[in-house]
Amino acid sequence: MTQQSSGIFNWINTRLPISNTYERHLSKHPVPKKVNFWYLFGALASVVLIIQIVSGIWLMFGYENTEEGAFASVEYIMRDIEYGWIIRYMHTTGASMFFAVVYLHMFRGLLYGSYHKPRELVWIFGMTIYLVMMAEGFLGYVLPYGQMSYWGAQVIISLFGAIPYIGESLELWVRGDYYISGATISRFFALHVVALPLILIALVFMHLVALHEVGAGNPDGVDIEKYLDEDGVPLDSVPFFPYKVLNALVAIGVFGIVFSFIMFFFPEGGGYMLELANFEEANPLSTPEHIAPVWYYSPYYAMLRAVPDKLGGLLVMAAAIAILFVVPWLDRSKAASIRYKGILSKIAMTMFIVSWLMLAWLGTVPVTALRTTLSIIGTVIYFAFFLLMPIYTSIEKTKPVPERL
Amino acid sequence: MKKFCFLIFLFLSINSVVAAVGAPCGDYGECDAFKPQLTNIESLQLGALTFINHCYGCHSLKYSRWGRISKDLDIPEKILTENLVFGSDVKLGDRMTGSMQSAVSEGWFGIAPPDLTLVTRLHGSDWVYTYLRTFYEDSSKPYGVNNMVYPGAAMPNVLALMQGQQILSCKDVPIIASNGGVRRDEFGNDITEEKCGYLKTIEGSGKLTEQEFDDYIFNLVNFMTYVGEPSRSVRERMGWYVILFFVVFTAFSYLLYREYQKDYH
Repeated sequence: MTQQSSGIFNWINTRLPISNTYERHLSKHPVPKKVNFWYLFGALASVVLIIQIVSGIWLMFGYENTEEGAFASVEYIMRDIEYGWIIRYMHTTGASMFFAVVYLHMFRGLLYGSYHKPRELVWIFGMTIYLVMMAEGFLGYVLPYGQMSYWGAQVIISLFGAIPYIGESLELWVRGDYYISGATISRFFALHVVALPLILIALVFMHLVALHEVGAGNPDGVDIEKYLDEDGVPLDSVPFFPYKVLNALVAIGVFGIVFSFIMFFFPEGGGYMLELANFEEANPLSTPEHIAPVWYYSPYYAMLRAVPDKLGGLLVMAAAIAILFVVPWLDRSKAASIRYKGILSKIAMTMFIVSWLMLAWLGTVPVTALRTTLSIIGTVIYFAFFLLMPIYTSIEKTKPVPERL
Repeated sequence: MKKFCFLIFLFLSINSVVAAVGAPCGDYGECDAFKPQLTNIESLQLGALTFINHCYGCHSLKYSRWGRISKDLDIPEKILTENLVFGSDVKLGDRMTGSMQSAVSEGWFGIAPPDLTLVTRLHGSDWVYTYLRTFYEDSSKPYGVNNMVYPGAAMPNVLALMQGQQILSCKDVPIIASNGGVRRDEFGNDITEEKCGYLKTIEGSGKLTEQEFDDYIFNLVNFMTYVGEPSRSVRERMGWYVILFFVVFTAFSYLLYREYQKDYH
């Protein structure tokens, strides 16, 4: 029997590179042996991606992509489909957790300079994933067609209208109608469940292929490729399987606890994950008092509101995301990791964290004069962190980076 | 790790600031706290009875079905159809679409009474619990009543018979000094001032005492909380098992990880 099955395996293996792929990307793929918990969020992001795809497919079984039926079909999933509520909460909690782990993953990149040469493309693919995720999250939020779905979509789609010359036609093109309607829902549905997930999966694939080509980084910013054994394997590395897989498994366990705690006990996330106004069906005739995005967009929403001019706000918001793409060329430091960077980088990083969190809060609360001022200050610090990076990273004195991990 | 914990702390403290913005229950201020008892079947049954008798005439529960209520609340089919379902052609699998046509009710109230399936999720159970207990007599309004939580509500106080007459009254309250303590005169007595806008029920004017009425509304809102998310009690029970699974999973994967880690440390 064993001989027979190995015969079948060999037959396939000579036609499909199973062993090669397994060795190259798992059993022999070298990863730095000393990393910390910050390096686990990438694995967690892929776990959430799978959760979102699987729960999303199950949601489609009961969801109706029409103006009349969308809201009721979500309640149908929540009530009449056996365990439909688990599927729905898994998807809504998953959306927030996806952003949470991706933000932590991105922050790890900034902290330890994961974008430094030769990992620029890994970073760029990652940023593109983030961009697509933002669109994906927005489209998905419109689908249940509650009040906040409708009015949130109204705000975001009207941003297209701020673009000179083509704005109005673009707005109409995106919406598919003169107002948000069934046409908008069905196209958003198609984009949310087919188009963007396909792009997302392709990008994740590219992100990983590029990463495996250049190898993973580490919190010290040490280049482990410098010291190799006689087989050409870095001395400070261990094979991905089983060592790092086991590490990821522990992380998945802890993440599972956090995820299920939120999903089973706080599925609304205090109104930050599922906004309470969305428990009312969309009503074009009644504007909610206070339109706020879910928490993961709020820093950028705060920037949008900080600028009095609509087009200006749009440009600032777009620039805030765009600037992340060029970080690999803004950082001129010799050291990749914050551990060996100078005091200026550390101050800048702290201010960046504070301003980002402040903007995240400001984006969720109604506007007052003081808050607008705070939003402007936060936005300025956010941009200063990036725009001044070439200066403070090149003038500061870095500590010597160790040779070995 | 310390820095990470600090960030989480920072984030949580920002959230608590957000929660404190604005008075959630209108003129009433903070809503009265409501802690649902979703496993208290008796309370849910009494609440369902109150809802069908006093609310369902105008308000639907259109996302809920009769059969689900019968099953979850342990109400036998026969008792349900004989005592709660008004209409012989209604089947257990039907949605609870209400007994009033919205065009008719719009003519009566100026606005169609909203569907209440999700009202506790939209406004919160605290809000609904407070709203239903804060109607007061106000002759300037078409129905002779107004509401503290939702001033100008287009709804008559349908439970006035139970609660009795509730009016706005004035009373002497201690003056709070700027340091937060009660202001006192030279003899140590509290200095008071007359303040108005307090709810007061005229004793003996309703069928129920104040406590009984609060319980009555508690059961009603408990039922409405259940209808807002019928699977909630199952969800909260199941959650502990799932978390327990992940705790065990984490423990074993950690032991395995630690064993393998010895290879390279």
